[in-house]
Amino acid sequence: MAYNKPIPRKGQHNQPFWDGTKEGKLMLPRCTLCGKVHWYPRLICPSCHSTDLEWIEGSGEGRLHTFAVQHRAFGGWAEEVPYVTAYIDLNEGDRMMTVLRGVDPNKPEDIKIGAKVKVEFEQADDDTHIPFWRMVEE
Amino acid sequence: MAATNLSMGAAIVGAAESNEIGYPEERGEKVTSLQHHIEAIKNVSDYTGIPISDIEGIFSTGWSVELAEHLGIRPHYIDTTSVGGCSFEIHVHHALAAIASGIIDIAVVSHGEAGWSYRGGGGGGGGRGEMPPGAEMTMAYGTFGAPSQYAHAMVRHMHQYGSTVEDFAHISVVTREWAQKNPRALMFADASQAEVKLGERTPNPFGGPITVQDVLDARIIAWPLTLFHCCLVTDHGGAVIVARPEIARSLRTNPVWIAGAGESMAHQNMLEMDDFTATSAARSSAIAYEMAGLGPQDMDMAMIYDSFTITAAITAEMLGLAPRGQGYRLWKDGDAAPGGRLPINTNGGGLSFNHSGMYGMQLLVEAYRQLSGTAEDGVNGIEGKQTDSHTCVVNGTGGTLSTTGTLVLVSDD
Repeated sequence: MAYNKPIPRKGQHNQPFWDGTKEGKLMLPRCTLCGKVHWYPRLICPSCHSTDLEWIEGSGEGRLHTFAVQHRAFGGWAEEVPYVTAYIDLNEGDRMMTVLRGVDPNKPEDIKIGAKVKVEFEQADDDTHIPFWRMVEE
Repeated sequence: MAATNLSMGAAIVGAAESNEIGYPEERGEKVTSLQHHIEAIKNVSDYTGIPISDIEGIFSTGWSVELAEHLGIRPHYIDTTSVGGCSFEIHVHHALAAIASGIIDIAVVSHGEAGWSYRGGGGGGGGRGEMPPGAEMTMAYGTFGAPSQYAHAMVRHMHQYGSTVEDFAHISVVTREWAQKNPRALMFADASQAEVKLGERTPNPFGGPITVQDVLDARIIAWPLTLFHCCLVTDHGGAVIVARPEIARSLRTNPVWIAGAGESMAHQNMLEMDDFTATSAARSSAIAYEMAGLGPQDMDMAMIYDSFTITAAITAEMLGLAPRGQGYRLWKDGDAAPGGRLPINTNGGGLSFNHSGMYGMQLLVEAYRQLSGTAEDGVNGIEGKQTDSHTCVVNGTGGTLSTTGTLVLVSDD
C-alpha cells in the first residue's frame, strides 16, 4: 500500500540526512568547533554559532524522553489511532520526535520513560525513508 | 536585569470586550475578527471616556495597521507583535516602555479572534512558502494541534514528579467552579440557574459544575489529556487602554498600575524544549517581579493562561506560586478556588470561560476587573466582584509552551 501520511519537506540543510536514510543510516549534524550534535539540522550551530558543520553517522539508539497517545488525527494518520508519539533522547545528544513502535497504545501506563529505543526506517517514496523508533529489550 | 525605573510608569485604565463572545453564531450572527476588535475598542473607549482619536499607540497581533485605518486614526507607535497567546501581555510591556519613555501617552491593546465563527481556518494570517526546518522534522509524525503536543509535557511531569491525571483534573474542576460565577462564561450554569442569570442568552447544555470523575471520563483527545483538560474554542474580542500616570489619575475609571513586566521565550518547536516541565515564565516573571519590587508571596490572585491543565500547573510553579512539581496543589488543596488563599483564573479560565485561540487578552480584562473593583458594575455585564485583590500576577503562554509574558499589576489603593 502506498504511504499515505505526510512526507517531510527537504532542503539543502538536511539533504545528507535523507540520503543517509536510504542506506539505513541515521546521519546527524555535528559542529566541528564545539563538537556538539544538534537536532534538527540547522544552518548554524545552536551551541557556539559556528557555521562549520559536518555530518556523522549516529548509533541509531536512544532513550524515551516522553510520549503521548494520539486519539484524534487527520489524513493517513486517522486510520492509525490510537498511536504513540514520542520524543527520543539520542545517545549522541539532543532530541528527535517520532511515532513510537513496539508499544501498546491502549496501555500507556506500561510505557516506561527512559526505556531503550532503536531507529528503523520506512520507505515513503523514492526519496524518503522516514525514521521511526521502536522500543527494544535492554 | 529589570528596568526598575519603568515600574508604575503607566496604568491600565480600562478594559472591555466585544458585544457578543463565545458562540455568537448560535444566535444567528457570524462575527468577524475585525468586528470583535472594533467593538472592543469602542467599548473600552466608551468605558474610559478616552476618545478613540486620542489613541497614539496601537498594539495587536498583526492587525494594527488595519485597525488604525478602520478607526480613522494615525498612531505614532505601532506594534504588531504576534507570538501566540501571550502577545497581549507583551504588548502591555511594550506599551509601558513606550509611555514611560515619553514617546506616547495613550495606547490601546486590542484582540479580535473569531475562533468559533471561523473555526477551521480563515482566522489566521497568510501562509509562508517555506517551512521552518524544525517543522520539517516533526511533520511526519502525526501530531495535530496543541493538545497532541501538550500531552507530552504532562506525561513528563507525571514521570518526574509523580503527579497523576487526577491531580490535574482538579484544575478543571476548580476553574469550572469559577465559571459558575461568570454569566459570560461559555460553561456558566445549568439551565435552571441560566433562566435567572442569563437573561436572553441561550443556556449551554454542557455548562454547570463538573467533578474529577467527569474530567477522567471525558472523551480522550491525546492521552493523558481528556476533553476537559483542554481549553475551549470560542470567539472573543477584548481591549485595554494603557495610559500615562497623569492621565490615569484624571479619568473617571480606576487605574490598575503596571508594577512589573517581563517577557521571554524558550523555543518555537517543542522539539527544542529542554525541560518539558518548565517554561520561560521563570525568566519573564523574575524580570517582572524585580521591576515591581514584589514577589510571588505578595500576590493576592493570579491570572494564568490555562490552555490545558498542565499549562496552568507548570506556570504556577514557574511563577513561584508553588514548589516545582506541585503546581496542581493550588487547585487540589482549594487555594485557587473561590474563597481560597490565592484565587486563580476568576473568570472561569480558558478551560471554562472563553478561549479564542490566543487567550492573553481575556487574562488582562479579568485582572483589570478584579483589581479595579469594577467586576460588579459590569464591563459588558459580568456580575459580582469575585475577590478582594490588590495585586495580581498575569502570565500568558504562547505556542507550545514556547513564549511567555508576565505582568505584575497592582490596584490604586
